[in-house]
Amino acid sequence: MGMFLLRRFAVMLATALCLTFVVFALTNLAPNLEKVAKTQGNTRMSDPEVDSWLANRGYGRSLPVKYGEWLGVLPGYVIEQPDGTVRGRCFGQADARPPDAPARCGVLQGDWGTSTVFREPVGAIIATRLALTGKLMFWVMVLMVPAALTIGVLAGMREGSRTDRALSSVSILSTATPEYVSGVILITVFASSAVGLRWFKGTATSAMENATLENFLLPVVTIALFGMGYIARMTRASMAEVMQEQYIRTARLKGVRFRNVVLKHALRNALIAPFTVIMLQIPWLLNGVVIVETLFNYKGFGWTLVQAASNNDIELLLGVSVVSVVVVLLTQLISDVGYVRLNPRISVT
Amino acid sequence: MTGSPDRIHPAARMHADEFRAGRISRREFLTRATALGVTATAAYGLIGAARPALAQGATPEQGGTLRIQQEIIALKDPRLWDWTEIGNFGRTWLEYLIEYNRDGTFRGMLAESWEVNDDATEFVFRLRPNVTWSNGDAFTAEDVVHNFRRWSDASVEGNSMATRMGNLVDPDTSALREGAVTAEDDLTVRVVLPTPDITLIASLSDYPAAITHRSYGGGDIMEDPIGTGPYRPVSYEVGIRGVVERSETPWWGTDVYGGPYLDRIEYIDYGTDPAASLSAIEAGEVDMLYESVGEFIEIMDSLDLQKSEAITSNTLVIRTNQKAEVDGRTPYGEAAVRRALAMAVDNSVLLELGYSGLGTVAENHHVSPIHPEYAPVDRLPYDPDQARTILEEAGMGDYTHTLVSLDDGYQRDTCDAVAAQLRDAGINVERQILPGSTYWNDWLKFPFSATEWNGRPLGVQVLGLAYRSGVPWNESGYASDEFDDLLTQANGIADADTRSEVMAKIEKLMLQDGVIIQPYWRSTFRHSVPNLLGAEMHPAFEIHPYKLGFAS
Repeated sequence: MGMFLLRRFAVMLATALCLTFVVFALTNLAPNLEKVAKTQGNTRMSDPEVDSWLANRGYGRSLPVKYGEWLGVLPGYVIEQPDGTVRGRCFGQADARPPDAPARCGVLQGDWGTSTVFREPVGAIIATRLALTGKLMFWVMVLMVPAALTIGVLAGMREGSRTDRALSSVSILSTATPEYVSGVILITVFASSAVGLRWFKGTATSAMENATLENFLLPVVTIALFGMGYIARMTRASMAEVMQEQYIRTARLKGVRFRNVVLKHALRNALIAPFTVIMLQIPWLLNGVVIVETLFNYKGFGWTLVQAASNNDIELLLGVSVVSVVVVLLTQLISDVGYVRLNPRISVT
Repeated sequence: MTGSPDRIHPAARMHADEFRAGRISRREFLTRATALGVTATAAYGLIGAARPALAQGATPEQGGTLRIQQEIIALKDPRLWDWTEIGNFGRTWLEYLIEYNRDGTFRGMLAESWEVNDDATEFVFRLRPNVTWSNGDAFTAEDVVHNFRRWSDASVEGNSMATRMGNLVDPDTSALREGAVTAEDDLTVRVVLPTPDITLIASLSDYPAAITHRSYGGGDIMEDPIGTGPYRPVSYEVGIRGVVERSETPWWGTDVYGGPYLDRIEYIDYGTDPAASLSAIEAGEVDMLYESVGEFIEIMDSLDLQKSEAITSNTLVIRTNQKAEVDGRTPYGEAAVRRALAMAVDNSVLLELGYSGLGTVAENHHVSPIHPEYAPVDRLPYDPDQARTILEEAGMGDYTHTLVSLDDGYQRDTCDAVAAQLRDAGINVERQILPGSTYWNDWLKFPFSATEWNGRPLGVQVLGLAYRSGVPWNESGYASDEFDDLLTQANGIADADTRSEVMAKIEKLMLQDGVIIQPYWRSTFRHSVPNLLGAEMHPAFEIHPYKLGFAS
C-alpha cells in the first residue's frame, strides 16, 4: 500500500510538471503576452509601447528561463528601468535592489507569484476562491448523493417495473441536460418575472457571504441535477445486478421481507460501484462549476479560471492547473483506496 | 484678456444671440458658453432662463448604502485609465478640475472658475479655496501643476492624457513644455498653449484627468488614497466589488453643490452579460445599473424601476483599415472601394436592426448634431447597385470581405445587419465574432471591423483622437494632410459657428474618402430603483457620487 501511494504521488508530481509547462508555454506565446501588456498597461497601447512594456517586466526572455524562475530553480530577473529604478521578480520596483531580497522566488520557495488581473498573491486568491467553490460543492453533494442513491436503489430493486421506467427516464433526462441549459431554464422559471414565480434569486453573488435558500438553491440544483442522473443510473445498474444474485434469492425464499432484503442484504454490495462513480464525478463536476459560477455570478474557483484564462493571467492559470491536477488525481486515489476497503477481493499491490 | 472673473467671453454673448434667433439649441448653447468659462448659472442667465434645480423638488435624505452594478476593472495610475468604470470608482475620492454635466454644461469642481482668451491660447484657472486633502494638506496650485506635468509625460506607456494635452507636450523631450503651465499664486494656474486648442476644458473633465496629490508619483492608488472627494475607498477586489465609505474629512462641496448623502457605496461586478445585470436588479441585489442595453431595456421597463435616458454622441464605427494588407494587397487602399461599402448599406436599417431604433441616424463623418460645431452636409446616397458596379470596376467584385466584431449585443447585431445588406448588394462577406479578450488585442489592425466610440463634448476631439495621421488610436489607417490641416485650423477657432464652416469641409472630406460607415448615435439608458435620486444616465457614463441619495 505504501509503495502504491508513493507511486501515485510521483505520478501526480510528474503530471503537474508537464501540465504547468504546457500551460506556461501557451500563455507565453507572443499574442498572449501582448494581451497581458494591453490589459495591464492600456487597452489601446501601440506596438512599440507593448514591446518596451514587456521587456521592462521580464517577459521578453526565453521560455525555459522564465519557467525555471517560476519553479524557483533559477534566480529571479532584475531589470533596470528607463527611469533608472530597478524592477525584480522577487522585490517589485525599487531604486536599487534591496539587500534582503531573495535570489530565487518560485513555487519551490512557496511563492506562487502574483495575479496580473487581481493584483494579489496567487496563493491567497486560490485559497479564497477554492473555499467558496468548496461551499458550493458541499451543498451539491449533500443534495446530489442521497437523492441519486435513493433514485437508483428504488429503480434498481425491481428492474423493469413502472417505478424503474419513470425514474430512469428522469435520470437520463437530467444527465442529458447540460448545466448551461438547465441553469437558464431554472432561472427563467423560478427567478424571473417572465414566468412570474420569482421564488429564488437568479444570481448567487450575495451567497458568497451569506448563503440562503433563496440565493443559493438554483446554482446548487443546477449542478446537482447533472451529476444526479448519472450516479442514479450507475446505482440502478449495480442494484439490479445484485438483486439477481443467488444469495438474494435465498434470502427471499427464506421468507425475509423484501424491504429487509433490499436494505440489509443488497444495499452494501450495490453501493461499491456508485462510490467510485461519485469520486470520479467530483473532477467532472468542476466543469459544471465553471459554467454555473459564471452563469450565477458566484465568484469561486471556476469563475477564477475563466477570468485567468480570458485575461491570460499566467501565474494564476498555473496555480489553477496545479490545483486541478491535485483534485483529479486525489479523488482517483481515494476511490481506488476506498474500493479496496469496500471489496476485499480487490488489492492494489 | 481682462482677467476679471465676472467677465463674460464675447463669444458667449454672441451664442446667446444665436440661441434667441433659434439658430442653435439650448444644449448647444450651454456647451459652448460654459466651455468659454461662463458659469452654468450665468449661461442660463444670458438666455433669460433660470437654471433648473438639480434635484428637482426632493433632496435626498442622509445615510444609506447604495449598490451599483458596474464592472470592477483593475485600478491603475489615473492618467492610464482606459475605462469609464475605473473613473467612476476613482471619482469617489479623486476629483476633477471641471465636471461635465448631463445637460452638456461644464462646471467648476476643484477649479472654481476659468477664463479663456479670445483665440484659445491662454487659460487661467482660479482654484477653489479651502479645499483640504484627506491627509490634511491644503489643495493648491502646486497640485495642479504637478498633475499637468504627469499628464504631459508622453514617455509613459499608455498615458492617454498625453494625447489629450496635445501641444502642451514638447515633442523633443516628451514632457511638459517649459513654462507652459505656471502657478501664479496659491490658487491661480495659468496655461499657455503654443497653438490654439479649444478642447482643453473638455479634456480636463474627462475621466483620466483626476487630480492626485502632489506626492503621488504613480503606482497603486489604493495604497495611500489621498483625495479631496467626499468618500474614501475601503476595498477593491477586481471582478468582484469595490466599496467606498464617507470620508471623515468635511467635503468642500457640501456648501457649494450639496451632498454627499450616502454613507456607503458598493460597486458590484456582474460580468458583461446584461442578463446577469437584469437578474441582479430583479432580485433586489443592486439599486442601480451602470447601463441598460438592447432588448433588456424593454424588459426592465416592465419592472418597477425608473429609467433615464442620455442623448449622446456615443457611436459604433464600422471602418476599413486603409493600410491593412490581406494576401499581399491592400483591399481598402482606394477611396472608391470604401465609398462603395458605405453606399451599399442603409444607416436607418442598421439603427433599427442593430440598436432597436434607440438613437438617431448618423451620417458617416463622426460629428454629431449635439456637437456645437456640427454642420449639415449632403450624405452619400444609398445605392447598392452602383456600389456593386464600383467594386467590380475596382477589381474587387469577387473579393470576400471579412467583417470582424466584438461578441457583444448591439455591436454584433449591427455588424450582422451590415453583412446582410452587403450580401443583398451582391458583395461577398464573412463574419467573424471575437470575445473581448481577443478582440482588443488587434482592434487597430483588423482590415474591416467595428469599434465602439464613446462621445466627447466637442466634435473636434474624437476626430483628433481617431483620424489624424499616425495618432495611436487611428484604426482606419486614415492619413490625409488636408484633413490634418483642416483639423488644426478648427482646433484654433473658439467660436463654434466659424468653426462649423471648417467642420463642413472636414465632414465632406470624410465622406469623400469613405473613411467610415457610422450608422447611428446611440441613446444610452440606465435603470435604478424608483426612490434613488441623482442617478440619471450621463452622456459619458459618469456617476457623480456626491449627487446620489435615497428619497426620504
